Amino acid sequence: MRWVSLLLVVVVVAAGCSQGRNATSRGGASELEVAVFKGGYGIDFFETAAREYEAAHPGVRIKVWGSPRVWEQLRPRFVAGSPPDLCYPGWGLDHWSLVYDKQVIPLDEYLDGPAEGGHGTWRDAFEPALLRLGQHEGRSYMLPHFYSINGWWFNRYLFEKHGWKAPRTWSELIELCERIKAAGIAPITFQGKYPAYAVGGFLLPWAASAGGQKAVDDAQSLVPGAWKSPAMLDAARRIKELRDRGFLQAGANGMSHTEAQMEFVQGRAAMIPCGTWLHSEMRNQLPPTGFELRFFLPPVIDGGKGDATAVSIGIEPWMVPAKGKQREHAIGYFRYLTSLPKAKEFVEQKGTLMSIEGSDQAKLPPHLVGAADAFRRAQTVWSVEYVQWYPKLGTATQNAMAALMNGTITPEVFCQRCEDAAEQARNDATLPKRRVARD
Amino acid sequence: MVRAEAPVRARGVQRAAFIAAFLLPAVALYAVFVLWPLAQAFVLSLYRWRGVSPERTFIGFGNYAQLASDPIFARALAHNLALLLVGGAVIVCIAIGVSHAIHTEGRAARALRAVYLFPQVISMVVVAVLWSFVYNPSFGVLNGSLRAAGLEGWALDWLGSPSTALPAVGVVFVWHALGFHIMLLSAGLRTIPVEVSEAAALDGASGLRRLGSVTLPMLWPVLRVSMVYLVIGALNTFALVYLMTVGGPDRSTEVMLTYLYEQGFKHSEFGYATALAVANFGIVMLLSGVVMAAMRRDPTEGRA
Repeated sequence: MRWVSLLLVVVVVAAGCSQGRNATSRGGASELEVAVFKGGYGIDFFETAAREYEAAHPGVRIKVWGSPRVWEQLRPRFVAGSPPDLCYPGWGLDHWSLVYDKQVIPLDEYLDGPAEGGHGTWRDAFEPALLRLGQHEGRSYMLPHFYSINGWWFNRYLFEKHGWKAPRTWSELIELCERIKAAGIAPITFQGKYPAYAVGGFLLPWAASAGGQKAVDDAQSLVPGAWKSPAMLDAARRIKELRDRGFLQAGANGMSHTEAQMEFVQGRAAMIPCGTWLHSEMRNQLPPTGFELRFFLPPVIDGGKGDATAVSIGIEPWMVPAKGKQREHAIGYFRYLTSLPKAKEFVEQKGTLMSIEGSDQAKLPPHLVGAADAFRRAQTVWSVEYVQWYPKLGTATQNAMAALMNGTITPEVFCQRCEDAAEQARNDATLPKRRVARD
Repeated sequence: MVRAEAPVRARGVQRAAFIAAFLLPAVALYAVFVLWPLAQAFVLSLYRWRGVSPERTFIGFGNYAQLASDPIFARALAHNLALLLVGGAVIVCIAIGVSHAIHTEGRAARALRAVYLFPQVISMVVVAVLWSFVYNPSFGVLNGSLRAAGLEGWALDWLGSPSTALPAVGVVFVWHALGFHIMLLSAGLRTIPVEVSEAAALDGASGLRRLGSVTLPMLWPVLRVSMVYLVIGALNTFALVYLMTVGGPDRSTEVMLTYLYEQGFKHSEFGYATALAVANFGIVMLLSGVVMAAMRRDPTEGRA
């Protein structure tokens, strides 16, 4: 109680203060404040880059600060009208609300300007599919930095020991699950406490595989009936089949992401759906020998309509607050971070993929090679966007997923519950309606 | 008469000013940091507000109308009440038993007195993490012991299954709150004069009879405080549920404050979240009031 009410009070008090005082400048005349999410990759890279930028731009001072729950500090700052000059708020803040309330600026005029280093425009430096995720009504409000690829993982040594191969199709998956189960290992584990993993790792890939990418695009775009389409129902039935045949680890429904990932890392489960952050998230728990992470795409449905090369990705965007004081340098600094040399450096130092074209030419750690290859080969790139667009629909589909995986509802009821929630989202006048963009 | 009254009144005014001088700083702080945010929260609950900018839309009592017909809020409240009624009953029964048992001067009693507050001094975050380990279906102590005892079929997915998640969280709620209530009742027991219990014993009252007719009535004021704390604790549960289950699976452990958190911080419905906060505040006040009123009559009164 204490900390919910405290958080609420902070926001409420900030709201009360917002009319009166506007941002007082902190520090010197041209100090740039950059607030970043302090996750698995730390903030040291951004601090070093800040010193480099300062050296190249005399008179500019950059203060980089970060926190693992930076969004809790940023929200009252936005409400009070005194946000930092550049923000990377992480996954805990509702980015689109910032756009709808005009708290962040469109960046197209800068994207159409020259890139750092002078080759073409800044826009050209980004992977187009990632840039698109930060656009609304044709304008770019949020820019990607690093990105994650979502897929399934196995331990190379465990698979080699038993002579198993990563399944490419549903029938291969079923056959493999039988063999894994016979070896006394749980075939698949999952982060049951957070059902978003199962939606993004099981349901949507199979719906896309069964009915084509349009099945998932339509569901995300709130096309009536899309959440109970034959493709979505097919995908839900497959999840039930895995459960009923005992291929999903018993007890995983109550496991947090770290608990389930521990089961996988320690070899009690053979496969797990997760993003490319898995390695850095579990690096302190990885066994020193006999373990090497390998990525593969969710097995596709035999004879399905979908694109077998399709890859799901996610970004944690950066943005420039409308009420920031140092707009030019905020953009200049971020442009520097997205220059090809800095991008390659980030890939090598942090072991993640960057949204900058050509940055995958850096030396990739072994666990990322498969994922980067999959991205390069992908003819379709998609992302779970509806959860950010319609948070209540996100929650409803995740709760229904928890029920489906618990066996308390049928696939038919699952689809109906999702469709009902989509109907509520369609009728919610407070949220702009969005569509998945494809060229 | 008249002459005598004037200085008395002057002294009264002086006295009032003296008292006010001491009270004012506290009242001012209370007003600024408690009453003012509370009033602001009420004002905000009349708006639709995303909570990321000063922009908000006045919608009158729209949030409250939505709240009145929100099945999830009703379900969350029912879970809070289940914690209060079932958990509370268990807590009070055990607390009475234990405080009675350690109200002696034996060595075991002294050891117990040192132990019973342990859960209370551990941070709720640590409690939630510890118990998540206990309930872990793979390496948890609970399922491990059940399997060792040959009760393989009883080893359940405690926090992951909708039918067991709320009872599992409820057990931790009881475990954590117990120490505080034992402490309250123990302190209460010490205020009962030894002569009274001895007199009852001399009159031939059995242990149970003494508990029912002497001890409990004399503990009444302490029990009342205990009940009010239970109401507040059960209706304001947040960290425990949020950390153990996030209100899941499929809302089977959702309580008022986890729902409030979801609406505000996950769904960007800060207006609705503040309406939930106001409703939560009202319900806690109301139920505490009911408990105070229902237990106001001291059973020892008028029996002399």
